[in-house]
This record gives sequence, C-alpha cells and structure tokens, in this order.
Amino acid sequence: MSASAQASAEPILLVRGLYKHFGGIKATNGVDLAVGRQEIAGLIGPNGCGKSTLFSLVSGTVAPDKGEIRFDGRAIAGMSAHRIARLGLARTFQIPALFDNMSVTENLLAAAAEGHWPGAWERAAETLSLLKLEHVADNRASDLSGGQQKLLEFGRAVMRQATLILLDEVTAGVHPNIRKIILEAIASLRERGVSFLVIEHDMEMVRSVCDRIIVMDSGRVVTSGAFEDIVRNSEVMQTYLGRPQ
Amino acid sequence: MAAQPMKSRWPGLLLLAVIAVALVALPWTVNNYWLRVATGALMWAGLACSWNMLGGYAGYINFGHSAFFGLGAYVTAFLMNDPFGLPFLVTIPAGMVVTAVFAVVIGAPTLRLRGAYFAIATWAFAEVLIQFASAMDFTGGIGGIGLPPFLNERFFYFAMFGAAALTYLVAWALFEHSRFGLKVKALRDHEPAAEAMGINTALVKLQTFVLSAVTASVFGAIFAYWVTFINPKSVFGGDITDQMVVMVLLGGLGTLWGPAIGGVALFVVNRLIWMHWGDTAFYIAVLGAAIVLVVLFLPNGIAGLFVRRKANALEKAAGKLVGGGGER
Ligand SMILES: Nc1ncnc2c1ncn2[C@@H]1O[C@H](COP(=O)(O)OP(=O)(O)OP(=O)(O)O)[C@@H](O)[C@H]1O
Ligand SMILES: [Mg+2]
Repeated sequence: MSASAQASAEPILLVRGLYKHFGGIKATNGVDLAVGRQEIAGLIGPNGCGKSTLFSLVSGTVAPDKGEIRFDGRAIAGMSAHRIARLGLARTFQIPALFDNMSVTENLLAAAAEGHWPGAWERAAETLSLLKLEHVADNRASDLSGGQQKLLEFGRAVMRQATLILLDEVTAGVHPNIRKIILEAIASLRERGVSFLVIEHDMEMVRSVCDRIIVMDSGRVVTSGAFEDIVRNSEVMQTYLGRPQ
Repeated sequence: MAAQPMKSRWPGLLLLAVIAVALVALPWTVNNYWLRVATGALMWAGLACSWNMLGGYAGYINFGHSAFFGLGAYVTAFLMNDPFGLPFLVTIPAGMVVTAVFAVVIGAPTLRLRGAYFAIATWAFAEVLIQFASAMDFTGGIGGIGLPPFLNERFFYFAMFGAAALTYLVAWALFEHSRFGLKVKALRDHEPAAEAMGINTALVKLQTFVLSAVTASVFGAIFAYWVTFINPKSVFGGDITDQMVVMVLLGGLGTLWGPAIGGVALFVVNRLIWMHWGDTAFYIAVLGAAIVLVVLFLPNGIAGLFVRRKANALEKAAGKLVGGGGER
C-alpha cells in the first residue's frame, strides 16, 4: 500500500460529518469516527441507527449526501464502489449478497477476479478449508444454509486481500464452533496488518475480539472507548441494551 | 486462467469429437436442401449463442439483437456492391467495427440503468434501423439490396460452421473458463456485491454487449452473401430476435450448449413445418408453446436437464428487467 510516513500516522479510516437521508429518514446524521491501523473496532447500536448505511457509504455502495471519508489517506466519499474496493477496502453485506447461481468456489474466485488473481485457486482452497466449506465447494451458493451463506460472505471479503474489512453481523446465526473459526481468522488477519470495523449485536463477541467499541444512536456516534468503560457507562448501556434488539 | 479441477470430461469431449466429424462430413452425405437446412441451423445456433452472452451470462435482455445481425448484413452488401466491390472477407471486419461502434453508443448509457431500459432501448434501435434502411437510397430502401451471387452451398456451410465453432469457442473460453466470465456472472447475480469485489460492472457489461453484438454481425454478413438479397425486414426484423430469445430459453439460458440445442431444434422444426404445410404460421404457435414449456416446467431449459447443479439465470434476468440493475 501507499505507506508514506504521513499516511501511516493517519488512521486507516476517517469519517467526518457524514450525512445520508432517505426521504425523511436520517439514516446517518453527521457520523464522525476513526479506525486505527491494525485495529479491530466494534460498531454497536440499536436497530435502525444507521450502522449498515454507514458501511454502504464508506464502501461506495451508496453515495453520501455530504461529509468526508478518508481511507488510507485518500478522500473516497462519492467514489464508485469498485474503485474503493480496488484501493483495498472489503465489506460484507448484512443480508448475504452472494452470487446465487455460482458455486461456492466460484464465489470466492469471483471475489479475487479483479485484483489479486495469482494464487487465487490456492487461496480459495485455503479459505474453503478454513471456513469448513470444502464439502459444499461445488454447491450453488443459494443452496447453502443461512449460516454457510454468512461464512461464504466472510470468505469473499477475506479473498479480497484488503487492508480494511467491514463486517456486518457476520457471525449472526452461525454455529458457535464456526463463530470461533471466524474470530480466529479475524485475529490472524489483524496480525498480518488488516484493520476491521465490525458491526455486532453479540456483546460476548464484541468483548472478546474488539480493541475498541464505537456506539451509534440515531445516525450519530455517541461515544467510543474500551469495552469495560462503555459497559460501566450506564447511559450508553441504556441506549444500546435498553431497547429491544 | 481458471483451470477447472479435472473431473471426468472424456465422455463430453468424445461426443464433441463425434459431432465435429459428423459436421465436417455432412456436405458429402446430404442433398443440397438439407445442406441449406444445416447451414441455417448452424447460423441460428451461433446467433443464439451470441444473444446468450449478454442475456444468459450477464442477465441483460436484448430485445433488438437483430439490429446487429442486420448491420453485419448491410455493411457486407454495401461494400461488396459498386463502387467498392470489396471481397467478402474484407467486409466482415468492417461490419464488426461498425457494429461495435453502435453497440457502444447504445450500451454505454443504457446498461447503467435497470434491465428494462436496456431492453426498450435495444428494441427501439432495431425498429429505427428498419425505418432508416427502408427510407435510404444507399440501402436500397424498402426493396432491399442484392449481392454478387456466389452459388456454392458448401462454401456457405463451412463459413457458418467456422463462425459458429469460433463463437462457441470464444463463449467457452471467455464465459466458462476465465476471470472475465466470473466477473460477468457475478454482476448478473448481484451487481452491488460485484462492485464491492472491485468489478467495474458498467465496463464489463459493455464489453459483453459489444462482443455479443459483433458476433451477431458476422452471421449477418455470411447470411447476406449466402441469400444474395436482403431487405430491412429480412435482417432487422423483430421476429429474428424473438427466435433467438426462444431458442436460448428453450435450450438453457446462461449455459454454453443450451443455445446450440435450442437453436438447432427450433430451426429444424421450422423447416419441417415449412416442408409439410408450405408456410410457417404454425411455427409461431410452436415458439409460444416453447416459452410456456420453459416458464412452467424447464426454468433451466433442455441443458438444465443434464447438469447436477441447477442454475437459474432466468430468475436473475427477470429480476433485472423489473427490479434491480445498475442503480445503487
Ligand atoms: N435504501 C434505503 N432506503 C430507505 N431507507 C433506508 C435505506 N437503507 C436504510 N434505510 C433506513 O435507514 C435507517 C438505518 O438503517 P440501517 O440498515 O443502516 O440500520 P442498522 O443500524 O444497520 O440496523 P440493524 O441493526 O437492524 O441492522 C433505517 O430506518 C432504515 O429503514
Ligand atoms: Mg444493519
């Protein structure tokens, strides 16, 4: 990557005053946040507070109304999704957005088709075995179980060889054994220099994997800090846990 | 290159070899009538494959594909006549270039939109070309335009055979065994996800569309020289596109061999009906029945009966037509 001395001092992701309204719905209403290099940041908040929308804005899937997004030192707000992806940002979708008619293996290969192609077959094989999907490698993606689809969604992001990965509730509905595999994969990727922003409702998972928690409510970031500090702050816990999840 | 894991592919290769040998030997084993039927069958198999490149692999329904068949035909007719008098083989690349330019002009703005807009734009383009070719002098107007006759049935049989073989080879290499094919199928199945994987979906769609159009123009060029006379309806007509669509749906949308199966089957039925009744009105009913058959019982076409892992490209293409598409 373009790791100039100046860029490496900067966080991998920096968001300032990010707005996106859908008609009258203020999905994000002035989001400010940063994700450090090699950090695993957790993003929590009640349903509908704008977490997934933030992912879509950062990844270019949806264009923001206004605001600044810097990824790896570059301004990317409003850039097309494929260009942002090529800069080294990968994401998963909360509702699995798989290539339904393609096999599991082809889904992984397609994720590598633009970019890091050499060795893609080997990496796809490794990813299949990491995620325990070998036995369904030739199955159509839409024939997978819900949990397996989540795994494949995660596997595709891994195949991108990104520097920042945005994970949207990637372990929701996944068997605890497999969840452990994902958590281990996240930790080992971080060792290799990858940063993560992780949307998660499971507080146990947040506690075990995240370095820092960012709390959103009603389209804004309300606070961020270490898990223990956030938990101690009863007001935040009310925001987050006081509502039906 | 994406080398597939080696399964047992010998039976398939053997079948392909047998078919190839039979096709090469055909001109010495059948009479001229059936040789012409075989030439036509190869043309339709190739045209159906060209339509399937975009419709099946990318999920964008082209309702005006005859426009590109007709452009190839008219460019060849125009350039072979006075004052140019160019040799046939030179006119083919000329037609391909003209076709590519038109495909870019039509596709670049419309492929970004929902599939329905693209479908309407392509349909309208073919209609405009019919009107244009009917009104202009240099196209021979509504009466059409003749070409220097070359009455060698074997030449045209092998020309169509070569073009069809090349078309299927390109489709096999590009859509079934390359990174490009992965990108095309990915955007068919989920455009925002494909974009998130770094795929420039607008560009890949346009490349696929141009390839599909240019391929059709080659068959148009051979067709024009073969029949020695064309008019706007005979090469731009909507019924040409209709047949390609039904052939692909019947054979199997988004499959390699489906268009060949559907193309040959429907064209042979067409000729048999013509032989028995001397007209092809009943053929329209056959096309309608084929669509009903596919929609109700064979969503993956005839080819879908032979594969274990069922694809449903039909659903995706229908989805693009009414709902999702390039917008995000
Ligand atoms: N494309 C869209 N069009 C209209 N409204 C939208 C769109 N996307 C999101 N919204 C609305 O924006 C708000 C924020 O949605 P978002 O999906 O970002 O929430 P979230 O924090 O991810 O919630 P959850 O925890 O349930 O996944 C919601 O009210 C949602 O209905
Ligand atoms: Mg969400």
